[in-house]
Amino acid sequence: MSTPILRTKDLSKAFGHKTSLFSRSHSFFASRSIDLDLAARERLGIVGESGSGKSTLGRLLLGLTPPTSGEIWFEGINHKDRTARDWLQFRIQTSLVQQNPLSALNPQMTVGKQVSEALLVHRIANRADAYKRVGAMFERVGLSATMMDRYPHQMSGGQRQRVVIARALILNPKLVVFDEAVSALDVSVQAQVVALLRELWQELNLAYVFITHDLRIVRHLVDRIAVMYLGRVVETGDIRSVYHWPRHPYTRALLASVPTMNPAVRNIVPPIKGELDVTKALHGCPFRSRCPFAIERCSSETPHLRPVGGQQVSCHRAEEFPQSITSPVAELREEIV
Amino acid sequence: MEDAHRFREEDMPRLLTVQDLVVEMPGRNIKILNGVSFSLDTGQTLGLVGESGCGKSMTCYAIGNMLPHGLAQTGGSVDLSSNATPSKAGKPKISMIFQDPTSSLNPVHTIGYYLESALHRHQGLKGSDARMEAMRLLERVGIDRVKSRLRSYPHQFSGGMNQRVMIAHALAAKPELLIADEPTTALDVTMQAQILHLLEELKAETGMALIIVSHDLGVIARLADEAAVMYCGKIVETAPVEDLLARPAHPYARALIDCMPSIDASDLEPPVPIPGSVPLLDCLPHGCYFHPRCSRASSQCTAQFPSSAIVGPAHQAACYHPVAA
Repeated sequence: MSTPILRTKDLSKAFGHKTSLFSRSHSFFASRSIDLDLAARERLGIVGESGSGKSTLGRLLLGLTPPTSGEIWFEGINHKDRTARDWLQFRIQTSLVQQNPLSALNPQMTVGKQVSEALLVHRIANRADAYKRVGAMFERVGLSATMMDRYPHQMSGGQRQRVVIARALILNPKLVVFDEAVSALDVSVQAQVVALLRELWQELNLAYVFITHDLRIVRHLVDRIAVMYLGRVVETGDIRSVYHWPRHPYTRALLASVPTMNPAVRNIVPPIKGELDVTKALHGCPFRSRCPFAIERCSSETPHLRPVGGQQVSCHRAEEFPQSITSPVAELREEIV
Repeated sequence: MEDAHRFREEDMPRLLTVQDLVVEMPGRNIKILNGVSFSLDTGQTLGLVGESGCGKSMTCYAIGNMLPHGLAQTGGSVDLSSNATPSKAGKPKISMIFQDPTSSLNPVHTIGYYLESALHRHQGLKGSDARMEAMRLLERVGIDRVKSRLRSYPHQFSGGMNQRVMIAHALAAKPELLIADEPTTALDVTMQAQILHLLEELKAETGMALIIVSHDLGVIARLADEAAVMYCGKIVETAPVEDLLARPAHPYARALIDCMPSIDASDLEPPVPIPGSVPLLDCLPHGCYFHPRCSRASSQCTAQFPSSAIVGPAHQAACYHPVAA
């Protein structure tokens, strides 16, 4: 493998949290000890429930929020050592696509202007040149160049998301973070944007991080996946290997929760109860309060990522789970306890 | 079996019959719903599926007689008739739950006030009776520590818990028909599985009918008995849900199924997009509304909207060139 363009070491971000106005501030970790490598042209998916720290990680990677501890290198330069000039260079080489295209766009500016802004601000092109490049980029993302003079409200949701993608790609970035980039779209439009992203990746020298809660979409867009729970990566590996045989009970529960299009599968008991609670920082495994397979060891000893099968898993019991995720939890429990 | 079927047809009116429903924006000649017809029996679940703007939610609002300001029902009929309480005068009760539970709840009232006032209105319960029943309902929908929860406000709850509160509130009316409009779209996949399971259980317990609206065919497959596919204010296909997924007849239904990304480990094909986009309601194409996006379209399709035709048992599609099974 080539040297990674992006690398993080022991990356953590804590936020203060008060239970009442006068109580002491407790901190909880939105990201905790994240070690991550991203090679050039690699596509990484980050999944988890809301509150798992996916978006915070995305913002950390782009230097949009400072980490509490830990380090990030992009192309060998540590974020901490960057001069103003380096940061400018970093901003040219990276970009972010957010969930809601309508709020990501300025309603008072034509979309063409918004896409050309980056070229002008960074003095990469003059006005005439920028106009041409934006036109070409519009065609590239499946819009017609005549749409440049429109305002965001004159476009459909899918077209707006294409504009946001055009804006993110206009500077030829090496790294893009897509934060729930297709979640707000209708299924048919979603499929269009997925096809577009797959095409663009083929053509461009682009690595990306795709953050989503949608386990169906991410499978078609990334090479590697990291599953997050309460700020920690609990399972990571090649996308095919993780979907083929998920080893962490949380990954298994997420995958088993996805409604399939098979009407024969009904009345299945939800694989996990409750929901993620960021205020409950637990000693030991962060998932143990919801895990049907938790044992004593899970509360006394924090599991760390270790190789199991083809992937990295942080679960003491990772080896014990069978390949099939559809076996009901109760049965499985008897079998493995 | 045959006899039972005929008995229902002749002697018992169906719980809900929607006939040629038209909803318009008066003065602007925009038809939001353009002749929607379907019917539903007690205990049955109907799934409405389609892209945004196809009229799924509007159909629900029209059934609940709660169309937004500026829209009016200008044709057709919505008939509700109760089988369960023939002696009682009045229509069967309908409850509705919505996509975004947190914005559907009033932020200045406690959960307790919200549920108790509903119980008072619908069941005439007061004071401690209402409180006991509210606690029972909250417990039923899977909320713990119910006593203290009654004093909580919606902002203290997560989206999933608020949706549970909405469901408890809906149950307070003892509805014969529950309309769930994208009930899990705003929720995480784990919470979605829990809410869908809860709806399944409640349906079995109370025998109420359910209309579930979703753009996610997975949700429809999980809950519905019958499914209706909507496009631009019209139902283009209705079928038992197994049939619809296995043998869709309308090219739009086929395309919707193909653009759903699969979770199945053996199916690595990326979702197939539907070309083009949904037409705006004020400039609908002539003939079949789907023909500009349809690979099977012929000159016939541009002339007139196809009428619904039977393509299988309880399976209808409005298409001149249905996809072969």
